[in-house]
Amino acid sequence: MRAICPECEAEITLPEGTIEGEILTCPDCAAELEVVSINPPELALAPEVEEDWGE
Amino acid sequence: MTLDPVALLIRMLEIPSVSMHEAELAHFLAAEMARLGFESFVDEAGNAIGIIGAGPDVALLGHIDTVPGEIPVRIENGNLYGRGAVDAKGPFAAFICAAARLAASKERLPFRLVLIGAVEEEAASSKGARYAAERYHPIACVIGEPSGWDRITLGYKGRLLVDGVWEQPMSHSAGREASVAERAVAFWNEVAAHCEAHNQGRERLFDQLLPSLRSICTRSDGLTDRAELTIGVRLPPDIPPETLASTLAEHSHGGVLRFRDLCPAYQAEKNTPLARAFLRGIRAAGGTPGFLLKTGTSDMNIVGPVWRCPILAYGPGDSSLDHAPNEHIVIEEYLRAIEVLEHALRHLGSIPFK
Repeated sequence: MRAICPECEAEITLPEGTIEGEILTCPDCAAELEVVSINPPELALAPEVEEDWGE
Repeated sequence: MTLDPVALLIRMLEIPSVSMHEAELAHFLAAEMARLGFESFVDEAGNAIGIIGAGPDVALLGHIDTVPGEIPVRIENGNLYGRGAVDAKGPFAAFICAAARLAASKERLPFRLVLIGAVEEEAASSKGARYAAERYHPIACVIGEPSGWDRITLGYKGRLLVDGVWEQPMSHSAGREASVAERAVAFWNEVAAHCEAHNQGRERLFDQLLPSLRSICTRSDGLTDRAELTIGVRLPPDIPPETLASTLAEHSHGGVLRFRDLCPAYQAEKNTPLARAFLRGIRAAGGTPGFLLKTGTSDMNIVGPVWRCPILAYGPGDSSLDHAPNEHIVIEEYLRAIEVLEHALRHLGSIPFK
């Protein structure tokens, strides 16, 4: 399974057993990527970690 | 069995449940969950427990106590007002509704859902969570706290409270000796300076020491002057509360310091089966997910280090309304969060825990 990095457009081979919601690192640009679809394989930039006051 | 999510939350808000006075609400919730087909009871700590399914445990842990402050329960412009609407009756009501939908669907999930309506989270004793931490051994846990319907909370800062007392024989203010008030203020200034130095180069609030002067006062009986203060410090993950307490003890200016409510920070992993299920759940409900780190504390700080399983906090609501006089939840968001929870729990059932 191959998908395109949305950050650098590198072609990434998804490991066997990859599932939706998994977070991967692009081997070319090191961007953190979320697997948003398996069929067809599709990657998006992983959610940023924001900060928030409170509980 | 029918369940009106808004009616459930209204009823929960109408039953006051300030910390250590949660019994009426706990029994109401146990009865409501029994009506929905859950195995339910109030445990020895006073927690309202609801259980459905079979298999390894997945814990949905929310707190049912609130801070004081009565807010008339009402709906205005699509917002439901009431003490605890976001912190955290709304999130726990969402847990019940999502679990009830899964139960009603007759879908067989490969885990046992354990809903824990915990007591005394706001009292800092965290009695309910501490009891549950020893009682259960889940493979995953969702903490019910307001993250917003499309956000997932991964961590909470730690906390340390310091009570300081300075006493000395009363003297004339024209004398050369520092007053007790000055000694107390000097201690606060050193705490603030220590935190500021620690925070150099640390951009994220989550990585910083955040001090706050909670109270300070002086008094005198004509013979002895006395100054008292209370300081709270929010801690990053790399500073255990005991370590900070030892450091601060060296700067007491002759005062007597008491350290309490020591609670280490906790940060969960984001690449877990549980987080994946929630990412999918939020996207399935039409959202773009995000992760949060919070400056406050929650029951995640208590059960996270014990259970050491995939964990996150999730729930509808704007946490800036926690403890606020206008605390309310947007009904549309509350309903959306139930949808996300239902999706996420269903996804969780399909994901291998690798």
